Amino acid sequence: MIEVVDAGRWTTVQDRGRPGLERFGLPPGGAADWFAAAVANRIVGNPQDAAILECTATGPTLRFSAAAVVALAGGHSTRAANWQPIPIAQGASLTVGTIAPGLRSYIAVRGGIDVPPVLGSRSFCQRGSFGGGFGRPLQRGDALAVGRLGDRDPLSAPWPESHRLPARGPWEVRVIPGPQLDAFAGDALQRLTATACRVTPEIDRMGLRLATPGLRLQSHEIVTVPMTAGAIQVTPSGGLIVLHVDHQSTGGYPAIATVITADLALLAQARPGDTVRFRNVDPTEAARAWRRLTGWLELDP
Amino acid sequence: MWQVTPAGDRGLLVTLGHTIDPALLGQVLALDKALADRRPSGLISTVPAYASLLCHYDAGVTDTARLQASILELEGHLDVALALGSVLDVPTRYDGPDLAGVALATNLTPAGVIEMHAGREYLVYCVGFAPGFTYCGALPDQLSLPRLASPRLRVSAGSIGIAGRQTGIYAVESPGGWHLIGRTALQLFDPAADPPARFKPGDRLRFIPTS
Repeated sequence: MIEVVDAGRWTTVQDRGRPGLERFGLPPGGAADWFAAAVANRIVGNPQDAAILECTATGPTLRFSAAAVVALAGGHSTRAANWQPIPIAQGASLTVGTIAPGLRSYIAVRGGIDVPPVLGSRSFCQRGSFGGGFGRPLQRGDALAVGRLGDRDPLSAPWPESHRLPARGPWEVRVIPGPQLDAFAGDALQRLTATACRVTPEIDRMGLRLATPGLRLQSHEIVTVPMTAGAIQVTPSGGLIVLHVDHQSTGGYPAIATVITADLALLAQARPGDTVRFRNVDPTEAARAWRRLTGWLELDP
Repeated sequence: MWQVTPAGDRGLLVTLGHTIDPALLGQVLALDKALADRRPSGLISTVPAYASLLCHYDAGVTDTARLQASILELEGHLDVALALGSVLDVPTRYDGPDLAGVALATNLTPAGVIEMHAGREYLVYCVGFAPGFTYCGALPDQLSLPRLASPRLRVSAGSIGIAGRQTGIYAVESPGGWHLIGRTALQLFDPAADPPARFKPGDRLRFIPTS
């Protein structure tokens, strides 16, 4: 068992989420930085669908009742080793501490975090208050079981630096135009990609509000439409909301462009005050970006 | 004309129209069913809403051009009649915090608002926004009001609201900008149920005043 000695700021159980249930109003969910979560699992030898802990801003302190192998990836833990296997002795503790640079660190435990799946996933769904073992973020005193999912050997060396994503801004984020591009003036996307957007303090797993200094986009109204993670909604005040993994399944603000899946991992690490620049790409480049990251995950470094 | 546009690198959005109209919803649901029956290669799941259908696909199996072609060949070949099922009753206590304000803004008495809201059958256009949230229409013109200027941070589960020509039921606690006129004890979302949401687009319902 793993005992939560200190829960940290906002620590939740996540896996690859429950995509496909949006028609019931559910977000797809899952690890916000899907790439870091996958690397953490790979380091300890877990399959990619093993559940991990997603830590936000300040991570937890955990005590292990049995010996374990863990790994942290993503945002930088200032108290523990990052991007490498960490052997934990029986009865020993792990403290993640402040996370910086980056916002979210992922703790994989060899075998996976074993909480009951709900609707096909172990991920905590905040809007529905279910999943993640407790239907809420972790609290002091919670106990987590470890599964038996480790199917490969843990890595023997740190994950190569060349195969990590940047942990700090400024962020260059690639987008595909639309789906509601025609709700905007003809030059709107060009003006958006020429703007240094700023991350506001209003960021969570549902979405990130960005300010667009010097730019106020306007659109006409639309009938409520289904939304995807990465959709860049423009609000009536001209600000942006970039939807993330726990996004609302439908929305009434038009999306001028949509962040590609590979770069959703970057936005998961963005902090208030960071600069974000969007770059317009085509589906071929999006597919290439995806293959680059999944290719790294298949490597045996 | 259907319009098919990329929704990121794994989605295609099919826009069938731009209005809230039972006939358009009929087309959306017919397209949804046709795709579920035909299962074009690489299509993973779909999300219907009002006048559009989102198609999630596996970019390793298909691409936008191929999937778009499979979708567009259905245009003009669908049976678009909305299947009319039974009408579900939603027992409603009309004691919402905005009932008096809605009455004032619409020149009705609270009893008049209740009579008008409960006096017709509604079509479910969409389950979305939050788990189980049920969007219904159409509200009588006289009850049509803009959303609250400043949304509430917390609206409790079961709350029934109105905004524009729509009425909706909050299935779980969430933020919300609609005028709350009542609530129901009916559970609209249950992660242990299959399906987890009580309503689906195309269903019909009626609000039954209870005390």
